[in-house]
Amino acid sequence: MLSNLEEKVHLDRVESGPFFPLNILTGSNLRHPKREVLRGNMKRVKSFKVISAITSVALAATMSVFGVSTAQADTSGLLPTAKQLADWKGKEITYYFYNDSQAELDTTKLQIAAFEKLTGAKVKLDVIPFTSLDQQLQARIAAGNTPDVARLNNPGLYQKVAMNLETHFGRKYASEFVKGSTLQVTDPVTKKLIGVPYDLSMNGPFINVDLFKKAGVAVPTSWNWNDLVAAGKKIRTATGSEYAFAIDKSGHRVSTAMSHFGAYMISAQGKNVLRSTPTRATKAVKIITDLYAADLAPRDLWIGTGTKYSSPTAIFLAQQTPIFFSGNWNLASLARDAKFEFAVVPNPGELNAGGWPGGKFLMAFQASKTPDLAAYFLHYLADTKQMEAMCEKAFWIPTRGDLVASGIKYPTRAADMAVYLADTAKTPALAYGIQAYPTLTGPVYNKLRDLMTEVMAGKITARQAIDQQISFIDAQLATVKR
Amino acid sequence: MIVRGPNQVVRRRPSKSWRRRITPYLFVAPNLIIFITFIIWPAIRGFYISFFDSMDGSNFTYVGTANYKAIFSDPVVATVAKNTATYVLFYMTISTLLSLAFAIFLNEQRFARNFFRAIIFLPVMLSPVVVGLIWNDVLDRKVGPLNTLLEMAGGGSPGWLVEPTLGMIAVIFVGIWVHLGFYTIILLAGLQGIDRSLFEAAAIDGATRWQITTKITLPLLKPTTLIIIILSTIHGFQSFDFIYTLTGGGPLGATTLIVQYIYDRAFQTPIQYGLGSAAGVILFMIIFSFTALNFLIGRKKDAV
Repeated sequence: MLSNLEEKVHLDRVESGPFFPLNILTGSNLRHPKREVLRGNMKRVKSFKVISAITSVALAATMSVFGVSTAQADTSGLLPTAKQLADWKGKEITYYFYNDSQAELDTTKLQIAAFEKLTGAKVKLDVIPFTSLDQQLQARIAAGNTPDVARLNNPGLYQKVAMNLETHFGRKYASEFVKGSTLQVTDPVTKKLIGVPYDLSMNGPFINVDLFKKAGVAVPTSWNWNDLVAAGKKIRTATGSEYAFAIDKSGHRVSTAMSHFGAYMISAQGKNVLRSTPTRATKAVKIITDLYAADLAPRDLWIGTGTKYSSPTAIFLAQQTPIFFSGNWNLASLARDAKFEFAVVPNPGELNAGGWPGGKFLMAFQASKTPDLAAYFLHYLADTKQMEAMCEKAFWIPTRGDLVASGIKYPTRAADMAVYLADTAKTPALAYGIQAYPTLTGPVYNKLRDLMTEVMAGKITARQAIDQQISFIDAQLATVKR
Repeated sequence: MIVRGPNQVVRRRPSKSWRRRITPYLFVAPNLIIFITFIIWPAIRGFYISFFDSMDGSNFTYVGTANYKAIFSDPVVATVAKNTATYVLFYMTISTLLSLAFAIFLNEQRFARNFFRAIIFLPVMLSPVVVGLIWNDVLDRKVGPLNTLLEMAGGGSPGWLVEPTLGMIAVIFVGIWVHLGFYTIILLAGLQGIDRSLFEAAAIDGATRWQITTKITLPLLKPTTLIIIILSTIHGFQSFDFIYTLTGGGPLGATTLIVQYIYDRAFQTPIQYGLGSAAGVILFMIIFSFTALNFLIGRKKDAV
């Protein structure tokens, strides 16, 4: 919880305009409006100023409710001692890494080069495709070929082999990050910090502005799921686009729609809360599966890919769908590759608005032969300077309290990032509940995805899918209790 | 006269024989070392791990035969077994018949002979992963070239990768497409090993082409055909890589075969190396049984 003083300072800053803590929300575009004038979007910028102010208040409130601290930490960066430098010279560590965009990879390479110059150590960068991230890492750990540091999105799988960071950086290190974001990298038994949140991700829709304009549909600033479906269908009819809507084949993404309708799967207390809201969950699932069943969304990409993850990014880039439901990690790639005007728009709101949280994490491993070097490398990547650089270049939402407080000056697409941040503020605290059970997120999301496939193919109804999901969650929670 | 004592003879002979005996093993040693390191030892380890439970890949708990019991009580296994049996049966039968037909055709035709041989063998040289990706594009329901052609011909646009039955047909077709060249080349080599004078004699005696094929070619090609049947059965059971990139085991698990079942259990979250290994052991026993059966049937027929 924010202390009264912190909260007062926080809110005072919010009210004072451009210097409020989350001026991530304003970004450089607001400070350099000429860019926006050139883009002919001044009106939109002004509206974002209003949204930003409202959002920052809302985010502060959300953080207060959720117990998120924005404590100001030492951001000067940890300098290695002379002894460490002597020990590390010529040593090599392996960084197991995956990237969502080229910007992430390029920035990481630059950061590694600077790290090598600073320490005299070598960092071997192993770039792994996202689709085999866990498979390869688990196989490497089992084979005794554990990397020193890894970038992960499923840290719960590695709790037993992760390094306790508090032995290197003390208990206070965790407070440098917003509290909610460290939930998945806190050892459930020892309560020690075993990793750091590297970026916060937020789900939400991208729209093809050109197709919206062509069809005479206004770019939404606020809408619900019926509006979204109606807009998609209208644009498809008017422009001849192949589909009306597309969403990543992921239970995590579908959970966003369930949250909008007020349905969640696992609470922070380990309860199967889907049991209490099956009708709401059914509505959310049905609205998506109906689009796929009616061929208004890419059926082949969902049904025809078995148990594999698939994303309709290429379909969106080919302008075959006006709406693409994904998240901020795609922004850098889309900004680079899209040959049309696109924008991030707010999540459709029903009972709730906002998005669905996710994120990536850094972990160092106990098996490292140079544990202090591995820990130091992790600390280096997650320090203020490096994280800020990554946020600016790859459109990340920071996890460091100091960066949340000072804000990120996104050099481009600031308006889009403002939408994500506004949705972050609106995301209900219940949406974070499942993160308290990191070993269950994968199985629970995957089961939802597979049940939706059966609904799309007409094998079961949306309600039957939710009933089966409830039973599955019960069984999964039972394994945790055992 | 030099008389050698019996002891001297005894000493020299074993030395010569020892060298002779060891030479062949030295020739195969490099391959044997690789085979033991990468096939035999992992297989033994796999069998050992099948009696353990591991959720994180690093901590193993002994569970006896629990993994085997879990597999046989898993409702998914029945579907996987049915899919695998369907796939292997059609794949093996069609592959064998088609490769026989192609081998006979290639053996007899003279025009652009090497060109046709190269064309048939070409898919064998492609990576199975790439094959899956290519056919995934070709069979796309909306923008795939196959359906574009079918639509132009008024044949509609079947959901090759969306409908379960069509998905299985697509997977069998692609599997055959990938391996056909390999089987054809083996059979072609077998054909060329048959004494030409037998065909000439039959022709002089007035045998028709059909009679030559059924009475001379096929019987003499039986040992090679048996190898093709064994190989295609093994390949059928082992099919995974191109299927994974083509359908991912979908739609609705219709193309999930036993190797993908093993892969999913072992490597998909939550990872279960023990369960995956147990399924691997079962697959080994199935393939071993089929191979032994094929050999036994082949030998029995030869004896008759």
